[in-house]
Amino acid sequence: MSLLVTASGDTPQKRALPRWVGALAVLVLFVVAALTALCVGRFQIAPQKAIAILLARVSPLTADWSAMDERIILLVRAPRVLLAALCGAGLAVSGAALQGVFRNPLVAPQILGVSPGAAFGGALAITLGFSGFALIGGAFAFGAVALVLVGALARVEGRSDTVMLVLTGVVIGALFAALVSLLQFLADPNSSLPAIVFWLMGSFSAATWARLGVAAPGVLVGVAMLWLMRFRINVLSLGEEEARALGLPVERDRWLVFGAVALIEGAAVAVAGVVGWVGLVVPHAARLLVGSDQRALLPVSAALGASYLLLVDSLARSATAAEIPLGVITALIGAPVFAALLRQTRRKELAG
Amino acid sequence: MNRVGMVGGAALLVASCATLRAHADCFGDLAGREVCLPHPARRVVTIPMPSASSFIAVDGSAQRLVGMHPSSKKAIDEGLLGRMFPQARAIDASVAGVGADGFMPNVETLALLDPDVVVQWGDRGDDIVGPLRNAGIRTALLRYGTESLARGNLTLMADIAGKPERAKELIAWRAATIIDIEKTARDIPEARRLRVVYLQRAASGLAAAGANSYNDFYIRLVGGRNAAEGLAGAPAINAEQIAQWDPDVILLNGFEEKLTPARIYDDEILSATRAARERRVYKMPIGGYRWDPPSQESPLTWMWLADLLYPDAFHYDLRAEIAHAYRLLYGQTPSRADMDEVLRMQINGDARFYDRFAASESK
Repeated sequence: MSLLVTASGDTPQKRALPRWVGALAVLVLFVVAALTALCVGRFQIAPQKAIAILLARVSPLTADWSAMDERIILLVRAPRVLLAALCGAGLAVSGAALQGVFRNPLVAPQILGVSPGAAFGGALAITLGFSGFALIGGAFAFGAVALVLVGALARVEGRSDTVMLVLTGVVIGALFAALVSLLQFLADPNSSLPAIVFWLMGSFSAATWARLGVAAPGVLVGVAMLWLMRFRINVLSLGEEEARALGLPVERDRWLVFGAVALIEGAAVAVAGVVGWVGLVVPHAARLLVGSDQRALLPVSAALGASYLLLVDSLARSATAAEIPLGVITALIGAPVFAALLRQTRRKELAG
Repeated sequence: MNRVGMVGGAALLVASCATLRAHADCFGDLAGREVCLPHPARRVVTIPMPSASSFIAVDGSAQRLVGMHPSSKKAIDEGLLGRMFPQARAIDASVAGVGADGFMPNVETLALLDPDVVVQWGDRGDDIVGPLRNAGIRTALLRYGTESLARGNLTLMADIAGKPERAKELIAWRAATIIDIEKTARDIPEARRLRVVYLQRAASGLAAAGANSYNDFYIRLVGGRNAAEGLAGAPAINAEQIAQWDPDVILLNGFEEKLTPARIYDDEILSATRAARERRVYKMPIGGYRWDPPSQESPLTWMWLADLLYPDAFHYDLRAEIAHAYRLLYGQTPSRADMDEVLRMQINGDARFYDRFAASESK
């Protein structure tokens, strides 16, 4: 089946561009995306003023801006830009690692049931009238519960194969999705329902330094774990038998990757709601640029994922006076891009 | 047929029509359908949330209401209406679901209640009306959201109660209040028109009411400008957008129970808006029903807002107005503590100009 081809199928020699050109292009894109995100918004601040406000934190600059300008840049945009970049990088890296482990390019972080679990936790917190850190805590806790459930149910006689894992993830995901629907059914249509609906569609509108402080450890630890596992993921992507033959503790390593992904996904859903498609689409684009060796794929996915969410979030908060939910834009852009990538890959396969 | 016979026949026809009219009371609902009740309804069920309190106000009692939506019940149990009409607390509230999709009637529960008529939403699709029709239950449909629909709903409730003069009385009060407010608001110069934002949601995320909302209607009525008029509906917005609007006044919805002005005063961005700096952030009051959406108490909402926005132009004695209104609507005089609760004196007490609503010691 063509969809189950290994994600590490292409060879570096086939690429038109050298790897460093791709990496450099992605780095430039990231810097441009971050600066754009900082400078655009509903509150009118000239770009040079926005950058000067940031520079003034580290160098002596004469202030020719208002207190509100400074608050908007330092308290609204700066944490939001960092949070979007962090979540985008984390989700993309999770997707890249999982696609390697499962040897399946259609796998996304949602497959482990973590995001439906986290979505339920967040929706429950909103229904109970909690916001802020109680909401983040609820989302994170239920994300972890979902992963533990998947892990426990997928293990048969001390082992869990990938098909069993994916199916269990789907089952647990469906269970939590149903619970979310139940909460929406029960929610007060005047207050909590619109809040739940908007939160489920994903947004960085509530970004603060404190939230960044909550999300950052989870995402950074998860990304660091995946980076440390980069060689092992490469080996896992060769297939279970091969990895075992090379002396890899397949079961343990796989769960280490899942744990890292759950940490990232739980932290991201907790602070931003459910942002789909980043973990599925971005690794494909990254693979086109640098191939599927995790040593290059992980950092390039991170930079690309961060740039992608930065640009999407800039659009979400600046295009109209109303906030457009992130999930809507990531899907509207992600779905056609993914379709194009699929067709291109398939055509190459047929040609090859 | 001779002349006498013709006259006699015509007289008979007129007489039979008159008898028919006496037996069947027909009126139009807000979906443009004709509803015929064999007599003023004795057993009424309301599914739209605001209808229960409107019906009680129009009927002046909770005797004929036998079922309502659980959210209406919640407002009655928690608010003033439940204290004014203790028997309302015993009314069945299991005829529909509790939440967002909770307008789907449970036909079997309804059949047990044996209502003469069920009031249902007329603008949320036929799925929630069809089951009632199929079960042979008589329905009256209402629509919601504008002042003219609010008047139509009062008329519908009065027609169901068989007291059409009550609707005329309540509508006359609304019309007179509007004329009175417009007369003063007209003279407010363009430069003095305050920019107001009504936050439909602020506890988790922010949402502001845009153009064509009922909130937009009363902000403009009292001479203000809706800073969020560029929005359609009440979509989610961000703090940066509110900073850009920099409103003079922020109104907080009455639906989110835990929401207080501290939400604005403690926010790093929102606290820098003009509204927060001048302490003009107010939580909407709650009486027999919440004051934000259209209801039987709307004129009080308008007077409250007019007094707060332009204290030197409007001079309503709101406590006297509430007492007068509650006698008109519910036949009862609220106590001083009741009024404190309606006006949310504890939450709004230290906001700018709110002291004008405080009970004076001499009263």
